[in-house]
Amino acid sequence: MSINDSNNKQTKLPFLGIPKLLPFVRPYRKQIITMMILGAMVSMIDSFVPLFNRYAINNFIAKGTTKGMHIFALVYALTLLAKLIMDFTSAYLVGKTEMSVDKDLRNASFNHLQELSFSYFNQNNVGYIHARVMSDTGKIGMMFSWRMMDIIWNGSYIIFVFAVMMAINIRLALYMLMLVPIAAFLVMYFQKHLIVLNRHIRELNSKITGNFNEGITGAKAIKTLVVEGKITSDFEEDTENYRKNAVNATHFSALFTSSVTMLSSCALALILWRGGKITMDGVIEIGTLSVFLSYALGILEPIQNIVVTISDLIAIQVNIERFIRLMETTSDVADSVEVIEKYGGTFDPKKENWEKLIGDVEFKDVSFHYPDGTEYVLEHFNLKVPQGTNVAIVGETGAGKSTLVNLVCRFYEPTSGQVLIDGKDARERSQLWLHSNIGYVLQTPHLFSGSVRDNLKYGNPDATDEQIMDALKLVSADGIIEKMPDGLDSDVGEGGDALSTGEKQLLSFARAILADPRILVLDEATSSIDTVTEKAIQDAISVVIKGRTSFMIAHRLSTVVDADMILVVKDGKIIERGTHKELMKNKKGYYHQLFSRQFEEMSLNEASNF
Amino acid sequence: MNTKNNNIRFSNRSSMVLFFMKGSIFLFVMGIICSLAVAFLDMINPKIIQYTVDYLIGDTASKMPFYMEFIVSHTGGKEYLRGHLFVIAAVVIAIALICALFRYLNKLFNSMASEKLIKRMRDTLFEHILKLPFSWHGEHHTGDIIQRCTSDVETIKVFLSEQLTSLFRIAIMIVLGMYFMFQIHTGLTLISAAFIPVLVLYSLFFHNKIGESFRHADEEEGKLSAIAQENLTGVRVVRAFGRESYERSRFESKNKDYTRMWIHLMMLLSAFWTSNDFISSMQGMLVVIFGSVFCVRGELTVGELIAFVSYNAMISWPVRMLGRVISEMSKAGVSVDRLREIMNSEPEKDIENPKCPDLKSDITFSNVSFSYEEDASLILKDVSFKIKAGSTLGILGGTGSGKSTLMYLLDRLYELPDEAGSIKIGDVDIKEIDRFYLRRNIGLVLQEPFLFSRTLSENIGIAGKDPEMKDIRRAAKMASLDDTISSFDAGYETFVGERGVTLSGGQKQRTAIAQMLVSDPPIMIFDDSLSAVDTETDAKIRAELNKHAGDSTTIIISHRITTLMRADNIIVLSHGKVVESGTHAELLEKNGLYRKIYDIQVQGGEEE
Repeated sequence: MSINDSNNKQTKLPFLGIPKLLPFVRPYRKQIITMMILGAMVSMIDSFVPLFNRYAINNFIAKGTTKGMHIFALVYALTLLAKLIMDFTSAYLVGKTEMSVDKDLRNASFNHLQELSFSYFNQNNVGYIHARVMSDTGKIGMMFSWRMMDIIWNGSYIIFVFAVMMAINIRLALYMLMLVPIAAFLVMYFQKHLIVLNRHIRELNSKITGNFNEGITGAKAIKTLVVEGKITSDFEEDTENYRKNAVNATHFSALFTSSVTMLSSCALALILWRGGKITMDGVIEIGTLSVFLSYALGILEPIQNIVVTISDLIAIQVNIERFIRLMETTSDVADSVEVIEKYGGTFDPKKENWEKLIGDVEFKDVSFHYPDGTEYVLEHFNLKVPQGTNVAIVGETGAGKSTLVNLVCRFYEPTSGQVLIDGKDARERSQLWLHSNIGYVLQTPHLFSGSVRDNLKYGNPDATDEQIMDALKLVSADGIIEKMPDGLDSDVGEGGDALSTGEKQLLSFARAILADPRILVLDEATSSIDTVTEKAIQDAISVVIKGRTSFMIAHRLSTVVDADMILVVKDGKIIERGTHKELMKNKKGYYHQLFSRQFEEMSLNEASNF
Repeated sequence: MNTKNNNIRFSNRSSMVLFFMKGSIFLFVMGIICSLAVAFLDMINPKIIQYTVDYLIGDTASKMPFYMEFIVSHTGGKEYLRGHLFVIAAVVIAIALICALFRYLNKLFNSMASEKLIKRMRDTLFEHILKLPFSWHGEHHTGDIIQRCTSDVETIKVFLSEQLTSLFRIAIMIVLGMYFMFQIHTGLTLISAAFIPVLVLYSLFFHNKIGESFRHADEEEGKLSAIAQENLTGVRVVRAFGRESYERSRFESKNKDYTRMWIHLMMLLSAFWTSNDFISSMQGMLVVIFGSVFCVRGELTVGELIAFVSYNAMISWPVRMLGRVISEMSKAGVSVDRLREIMNSEPEKDIENPKCPDLKSDITFSNVSFSYEEDASLILKDVSFKIKAGSTLGILGGTGSGKSTLMYLLDRLYELPDEAGSIKIGDVDIKEIDRFYLRRNIGLVLQEPFLFSRTLSENIGIAGKDPEMKDIRRAAKMASLDDTISSFDAGYETFVGERGVTLSGGQKQRTAIAQMLVSDPPIMIFDDSLSAVDTETDAKIRAELNKHAGDSTTIIISHRITTLMRADNIIVLSHGKVVESGTHAELLEKNGLYRKIYDIQVQGGEEE
């Protein structure tokens, strides 16, 4: 939270940050200019429509003749038809521009995120980043389309109306002009207050949603503690608070609409009084008076719209800033120019130049602290992991077991020292080269929505169905596929929701095997799964790690006991290392303590299964 | 709480809506009356214009309605007005003022009504949900219920406070507008009225059609959003497999489909808006053309035509809105049904005149069998045991052995069906005991503790009767939590959860223990509550409890023999059956399962 907040700090960009967005708009400049011109013409026609009434009154009614009525009707109809065509074209172009700009912004931000380093993902939660891709982009797209056109439509309407009024009668036009600043001021005043009030209401509303969430997820606790009464009365306090604030805000918005329409009646009264006078005196005709009367009733809304649009534009600034900040964030872990030249970049790899990876890993005098911290979690750390070694990393949840893995995968780079892969500094080859040779099985298995086949082929797009079935058999996951309605083509649901956790885990093992990586990283699950699945997973692990260099963030006893090397982590630091036997010798040791605690639970479940 | 009758059942939609509207219906009616007044006052302006143009500026004798005669005679008569046109202006402003007042009141009444309504809906739902049995909570997804309590509630509010009231307003505007137009000229009114069904049906047809496309577009957006979400949560997998390009093309192609779909939708929308606008303008055009012809023929005065054009413009927007409002109103029915489903679920029940016996008595489980779903395999099979008042019972059992279920039954989180055995405290079956009384006297510390998003002191003291700070600290000390809390900057006022600190599993468990200790219940249950706490702290807490437990009956569930060995009696549960029971010494003698586990845990671990 606090990190996100600091990201929100406003660093004012010149001109609302719009210049930096121009590259995204430039491809559509022709359609934008077209829609603006057409939009202005539509407003022009709108402002001219009362003139038809004037013509009818002054030329037919006043003169008592219907001569020329056919031509009048024809011109009128043609004008409306022309307006229809222009109106449709411009509205369609606006929508098209909005969606196109949106699309480009989403692509740009999504693609940029693919190259950002892990420190960014650790410092910003998924929800926050997701909103940058999906919602800020939408707001910006809206700005370059509808908001901009709102100004064109309403602005040109106001200009044309005043132009017509000036042309017909300057005095009446000036009376009307007086109302503009009053209206603008009125709208601005209310708008300013309403924004604050509405923001507060939204906050209260999300608090109530939070209360619902707490009441539902905490049902068991609420019932056992018998605090229904207290929780309900606190909830009612919150809803009452919301109600009061909402009604209070309505005072304002009701006053707002009432005064704007009131002002419009004032305009009408003014025209009736002054305009009526000069009509009686014969300065203008009745038809002309009717034009002014229409304008008096119609001018307030566009003024109101423009002010509201401008305050919307100011609000969008936050979205623009966040978007630009994302696009300007650079990766901590980046391949050098020479490396990219030889091995290719993230989206255009030069696989022909890639060397084969063998799997020797060495930490050489590595010191490391996370970019958002200052405390060193590794200091002058040395470790040789020859090809085929099985390393287990143990420690409590949140103790910092992932650090070594992060360095091996080059998700982070050492603050000083080197991580050598096959004897060469990891930075001398491209990230994609390394990653293409790494298999990763996550603690909470992550599947992508799509078919089982798509998911299994994730690490090896060229895998054949035969290879897939072999991999599934190897981890005894072929049973899962047989159970599914469409076999390999079955949909796994969003995030693999259609499968159980154990099934997801087995599939992610099969995925790793298909990728045939030289280095394997396993992040074991802590969640308890049934004994049968547990056994299947353990068997799968021993199959997968055979012959590969592996790093295992371990929770299960069996995998720890058999590991070639165990690293024990506490408070982010490696405090013990050795094989299981060596470590168990120290009865006061931390490993001994951890092991005993897990052992109790394991023994119980095993014993009671007899 | 218990005294209220909560058997709310709604057999149809309207009965529930009316129930929710209790207390706000009067305000809604007031709002509608005000909007009637607004509509009527709005309709006077064109009349004044008509009169001014014909009677004062021109010199046509037009027939005046009663209120115009009233205004004229009270403002000085025709001749006076001709010289003092500002009086007309003043009348316009006066009417505008009254109108503004009604407009303000209309909005205010409407908002007061709808906020009262939404408060009542939320409060009722929340209270009802808390009263529903725990089995109901197990059967429903949290996300789905929250969705119902937020967006469905909002849909119903919008339906009642915006759509229904605007339907009234639209109807009034159209009826009044048509009335005034008919008064001016029948033929011209018929020309104008011919467009009304066209506009309404066109809009109704379009909004029903487009609704499908919108739903489709929403689904597509959901899919695109899910791809981004999956990519971000699975960033490690993406990177570790080096699949950035694949992700890029996946996102870009979905993005392209989604955009194309919206552009198509935009085209339909633009076509509708502009064509609808065109039909409306055509209506205006025909009114002007035919109006002029009627004027030339002498059937209409200029002022009347201007007034007619105004009325025509005034009802054109309501007419265009009508189709949309009607098509959107149909959505509310679904929301009402979704809430009705919650409201019709049966809350937890007690027998009539439940008992509140002394709970410092023996607890007896006799032949208890239980399964969570009908026809599912039994979690508990014929379990019988007795806990003497004031003694400590230890329960040892593996994952899925049914040990937590036993405690849920004792706390009546789940009701034991008839003929599936009985649970008694003293001589009273727990089904006959007031469930709040029962739960208040059983301090059950859950395996997975739940903390409320409040401060630590509020969390610890939540179940107590206005506990003082010293009670809270005493409980925290007993749970070995005082030192931890004191190390936080805000101490006991530290916020827990999203807005504050994140506690570790062990700290959460200790908070839950302190929470229970505050109310000092006669029966205490620790359901594997020390699993995340290290052995040392575990021992410390147990020693504290022994000192303070007094004559409380205590049940400790654990997988750790050292935690249980000092209990007065221990039962070993395996696959829903009691396989052994006795004291620690007796059980070791028996050489059964307990012995085996003891050997592995206490000795085996050290032998390695």
